[in-house]
This record gives sequence, C-alpha cells and structure tokens, in this order.
Amino acid sequence: MAISLSDSRVLIVDDNEFNRKSLALVIRRAGITQIAFAENGAEGLKAVESFRPDLVLLDVDMPVMNGLEMCEALRRNATHEQLPVLFQTAFDSDQEQVRCFEAGGSDFISKPIKPGECVARVRHQLEKRKLFTDLAAYRARVERELAHARAMQHSLLPEGRRLQSVAERYGLVLEAHFETSSELGGDFWGVYPLDDRRVGFLIIDFAGHGITAAINTFRLHTLIDRFPMQDAAPSQWLMQLNGALKDVLPTGQFATAFFGILDLTTDTLTYAAAGSPNPVLGVGGDIRLLDSAGLVLGASRHARYTDHSHRLPRGGFLFLYSDALIECGGANGLGPLGQDAVPDFVRSAVEANRAHPLTPMKERFYARTHLPLRDDLTAVWIARRA
Amino acid sequence: MEFRSRVEQDTVEVQLSGRLEFTDHDRLRDIVELLDGNGLRRFVLNLSALDFIDSAGLGMLLILQEEAEQRNIKLVVSGPRGDVKRSIDLAKINEIVTIEQ
Repeated sequence: MAISLSDSRVLIVDDNEFNRKSLALVIRRAGITQIAFAENGAEGLKAVESFRPDLVLLDVDMPVMNGLEMCEALRRNATHEQLPVLFQTAFDSDQEQVRCFEAGGSDFISKPIKPGECVARVRHQLEKRKLFTDLAAYRARVERELAHARAMQHSLLPEGRRLQSVAERYGLVLEAHFETSSELGGDFWGVYPLDDRRVGFLIIDFAGHGITAAINTFRLHTLIDRFPMQDAAPSQWLMQLNGALKDVLPTGQFATAFFGILDLTTDTLTYAAAGSPNPVLGVGGDIRLLDSAGLVLGASRHARYTDHSHRLPRGGFLFLYSDALIECGGANGLGPLGQDAVPDFVRSAVEANRAHPLTPMKERFYARTHLPLRDDLTAVWIARRA
Repeated sequence: MEFRSRVEQDTVEVQLSGRLEFTDHDRLRDIVELLDGNGLRRFVLNLSALDFIDSAGLGMLLILQEEAEQRNIKLVVSGPRGDVKRSIDLAKINEIVTIEQ
C-alpha cells in the first residue's frame, strides 16, 4: 500500500542542529511537509502534545532528557502508546538497539543518515499507523452500530412495567433476565395474555449468534403477530411458525422453541417444544425437567409437534432459559452447568431466595462464567402465587 | 473441531473430534468439498470422538444433509454419544438426517 505522505506530521527531536536540518531535508524530499523540531526529550514531549505528530524521529543522547526517557514517558501515556518512534542511533551495536526497543521504540535508523533507508523506514511506520488508525476507526464504528442493534433487540422484549401488569392480572410472579452476548444473539421471549384465564409464554433461540441470528429475531417478531394464539393448540401454533420460518431461513439456520399456555381455571400448563433446553417445572416441592424434544423450527416443512400437559397449580413455577445457561462456563475452574444439574441449580436458588430465585441463579451463573458471554442468556421465572 | 477422512470404494468416512461449534463454520467448507469425490454414494459422518455440539454445529449437519442430497449421496451420521447425542435427540435432527448408533 503506497500512501501519500503529504498529510503526515513528523516531529524531529535532536540536540544537533545539523542533524535536525539534514533529517528534515531527507523526509521533505519524500513528500513530508509538516515537520516540527525539538532539541531535547522534555521539549519533545511538549511538542508531541501541541503538534500531534504521526511519527517521531528521536535522537538517543541529548541534554535535559534523553531519547530513551522521552520514549518511555510517551509509552506510559495511553494516548501515545501507538505513536511510532524511530530512534536514530550512531551505535550499530546489538546492546544499543535492545535498549531502544526496551524503551518502546518502534524501529531505528542508523547515523549517519542514509536517505534511502531513512525514507523507507519512515514510510513503513506511517503506513502501519494509517492502517492501524483506519482499523481502529472502523472497529469503533462497528461497535457503536452493534450497541445500537443490541438496544433494538432489547426493545422487542417485554419491558418491566408490562411484565408487572401481566403478573398482577393473572396472579403470577414474573421475572426475566436477558443479556446479549459480546456480539449479538438470537434469543427472544415473550408473554401473551390470551383471555381472562389463559396466558401464553414463548421462548426462542436462533442457532448461532451474531448479526444473522439477531436479524432472525426481528423476522420472528413480525411473524408472531401473523398467527393468532387464541384458538390454536401450542403444537399447531408452532407448526404454523415453523412453516413461515422454513420459507425465510436458509439451510443451516433454525430456532429452538418452547411455547406454553397456562390455564388458570384448570391449573394446567399445555406446551409444545422444538428442541429448546428442558424447562423446569416445580410443583409442591417436586422439581423436574420437562420433555422439550422436537424438530427445530425452520429445518423442515414437514415438522410435527406434540402437545404436553402438566398440572401447574398455585404455588408452582415454570422456569425457562436459553442454552447459554447450561453451555457457558469456564471461570474459576468450573465447567458449564450442563442440563442434568439444572433441577438442583433451581432448587438451591429457591431455597436461597424464595421470592426472587433469579437473583441467586444469576449470581451463581456469573461466578462460573467468563465474560463477555459467548451466547445470549435468557432466563424467565414464572410462578403462580400461593 | 478436527477431522480426518478415509475413502473406501464408494464411501467417505469423516471422523470429527473435539467440539463442533459456531467458530467451525469455515471448516465446514473443507468437509463439503469431500462430497465431490468421484463415484461417491455414501458419506459417513462419524461423531464417536466428538465431545460437544452447539446449535450452530447442528445447523452444519443440516447443511451437509442438503449438500449430500443435491449430489445424490446418502449421508449417515454415526455414533454420537454423551452431550452430542443428547443435543441431536433434543433437536430431533433424526427426522431429517439418518442417525446410526
């Protein structure tokens, strides 16, 4: 990559006037016009702040503050950590060169100055710096956009006030935790009042993570409204959603799902699932995993789902979660939780905090998990008040 | 994930080991290329040495199934165990891909 050096700013720090002039002459011939000078390290540091160079040509032996000290001072300052510093050194010795690198120098040029070598090394450092700043700017932009997308994804989920009002209406305790991974993820969940006695719960996880998975959650959000939940059994509803997702998802992309309807008059939870992690049902001290096997959504047009029914009376609970809960781990020497450990995990959380078991669950999960998360984490606690 | 392949007459057997997950997407292309062998009829994906598969990994099995179908090759996934078997069973991948124990 050949870049124009005319935009580049170079600071020359040298106590010898002849050296300053000859260096300036060499780099001016290479097209660099913005050049500033300093006569020792202390002046050099000030000039870095005022002139904001893209590169420093630095002498080693100078009065007041030598080049090694100046370079070390620059490297202690986070702003100038990446500023290229080329030492000019008269000693072609291994030891001297090691000292320059140890002080934080990027490279060095030998004295007396050889114009060809000098320009080549200056150009190389400036090109590297330009690539670095371009990449850093690009990365900053992508991070801003991802943060924006994460916020949009959050806006698809039920907000606290709405959860509260649904909980009041049906005599429930509803709590949820949602955290997107370092990038973006494909988790989604929702709560759907169907009529005065029935409320629906949906949790969905698109395979993989990243922008593709996140876009799929937006797709899903528009599809959900297309299929009324009131008159369909959960298995039928999942079948309709499966067909719609099969139409839009390319091969290899799919979603796991759990859709359940809680009927308060019959104390019954009826659900169908498509390969979501096993939900946890707690009734009267008995805590167990529910069967959630089912062909994942969007993989085949012919998928069929099964309705399951369980008693969920007052005082009972249902705990839904995404696979991050059981697959993420690795901190403090602990592996992932794993599916089999979930009932005990829930039981001990209920014992620790009966009113808000999600709180100890979160604490215990984060104690064993490296951050940032590799995948989205969703956890939804649905309990019937006693 | 690591893989080794072995050709025997009209069959390719690919043995996967380690973890098959999101980050392995680039390796998938190398496995798909194995489907282009001459006179190939049967493609066996041996998972007996695979320790973990995530949802993206399951997606890769579905992609391989489609790629094999398009070439008229029979794909068989063999020997999944432990967590891998559990994930495959949970997602009912057997409704799309032939799984042999």
